Amino acid sequence: MVLEIKDLKVKSGEKEILKGINLKINPGETHALLGPNASGKSTLVQVIAGNPKYKVTWGNILFNGTDITKLPTEERIKLGLAITWQNPPTIKGVKLSKLLDKISKQGINTEELGANPGILDRSVNLNFSGGEKKISELIQIISLNPKLVIFDEIDSGLDIKKLEKVSKIIKKELIDKNVSVLVITHSGEILNFLKPKIINVMVDGKIICEEKDYTRVLKTIKEYGYEKCRKCELHADGP
Amino acid sequence: MDMKNAENANYTQTDHEVNITEIKGMEILPSNMAIKKYEWTREYFKGKPKEGYFIWIKEQIDFPVTTCMSIASKSVSQNLQNLIVIEKDLKIKLRGTCNSLKKDLCSRHTASGKIILKKNAVLEYNHIHTWGNEDVVNTDYEFILEKGSKLDYNYKVSSTPGNMKLNTKITCLENSTANLTIIGNCENSDVKIRDDIILKGKNSSGILKLRLVGKENTKILSHSRITTEAECKGHLDCQGLPIHKTSEMILIPELICKDNQSQITHEASIGKISEEELNYLKSRGLNEAEAIELIVNGFLEN
Repeated sequence: MVLEIKDLKVKSGEKEILKGINLKINPGETHALLGPNASGKSTLVQVIAGNPKYKVTWGNILFNGTDITKLPTEERIKLGLAITWQNPPTIKGVKLSKLLDKISKQGINTEELGANPGILDRSVNLNFSGGEKKISELIQIISLNPKLVIFDEIDSGLDIKKLEKVSKIIKKELIDKNVSVLVITHSGEILNFLKPKIINVMVDGKIICEEKDYTRVLKTIKEYGYEKCRKCELHADGP
Repeated sequence: MDMKNAENANYTQTDHEVNITEIKGMEILPSNMAIKKYEWTREYFKGKPKEGYFIWIKEQIDFPVTTCMSIASKSVSQNLQNLIVIEKDLKIKLRGTCNSLKKDLCSRHTASGKIILKKNAVLEYNHIHTWGNEDVVNTDYEFILEKGSKLDYNYKVSSTPGNMKLNTKITCLENSTANLTIIGNCENSDVKIRDDIILKGKNSSGILKLRLVGKENTKILSHSRITTEAECKGHLDCQGLPIHKTSEMILIPELICKDNQSQITHEASIGKISEEELNYLKSRGLNEAEAIELIVNGFLEN
């Protein structure tokens, strides 16, 4: 198993945000995690990445069998974990090419990945368009030669053409190369391109649904919103 | 430039020993000889110079003219007076290095200089200082930009001495342009910087850019000033990045307008490295020290 999260409870300050998360991802599998705003999806990404802002009060995170719950972020990345940021910060003065020189574990052809040649000579995320930020995130995580990639709202702010472009890169460079993928998404549109094996729904800091047929879950959410998922949990009748 | 290629420099001084390699189109002399040979240089030297260089570029030279001033022995005290004259219409690149070759030499490097750009001359001057923590450095450079000339002066101190005073003054005459960039990567050091651009001539312009990083045990006081005395434009951009709790930083940007047709603007900030930037770089596999180094280098190069 690439990733196993066991009964994970997390606080930010005094507020409990994650309330007992369980999640398993096998090698080469693509999973999806859907949820409404403020359900705790981005917190889960940051906690898996080891952001010290969040405190794990219970449970464990295992990566390829190693307990990484207390490891610093950079150690987790060295083991093969990679995450993309929903709103990556600007790092003024640090050119994207310079950052790639520092972090790359494998050579990459940035133009093949859809990057404008000029993007490499610009400061990381400074005045990047929404699409450029996504491509920059993709280039960086692919260069890490990861075993598992977690995409935090990689689809947000992209029109359908750009979404298709980004999805094709993810498929070709990661999924087709047997890299495990967890796609965190609010809208779910990207799943029609990536076709995950398992879809999970997270509401109020808990995963309340795990389902193989992602189309069924998407259809339900589209028609009834996440309220139906809450109801589903309460009545255990499936969406 | 390090000592490996110092032998290729046009003027090399190690402690007090001088080596000169002349090339066609320019004249290089020790300052104490120049003042005897050319009476007009007395206008620029303060009294009789003991050491230092005189570089007079008379024809176009298409590769960088280089100087290398080094201290190799303990407790050496250099006291330099330099004079550089670039004749009109020439486009010249100049590289200057001043350094101590070991960290514990307790040396003293005092340098004053004048750089004259004649009418329509263009000079790109990259000046790099690298010192040990026990050294004392005191420099005082003045640039005079004649009509239509252009200066890009990039001064970088990559390793600060224990005590450093750096004065730079640029006077711009009509239609001349000055871009002054001062970059300081400061650690275990007391640094005082004073830089002035005086826009005297009509349609002259000046940009003064300062990037200072304050590491451990650093005290930085920097006073940057642009003065306009004619219809002209100036911009001052000072940014400080204190990255250690023992770093103290005072930046004083000052704008003086003596002609109401002129325009001067400024931006100034002092701020620490953001946690978000650090976490982002850690999420790319860099440890804290690597992430800070990358951010600091980016800040200094920006």
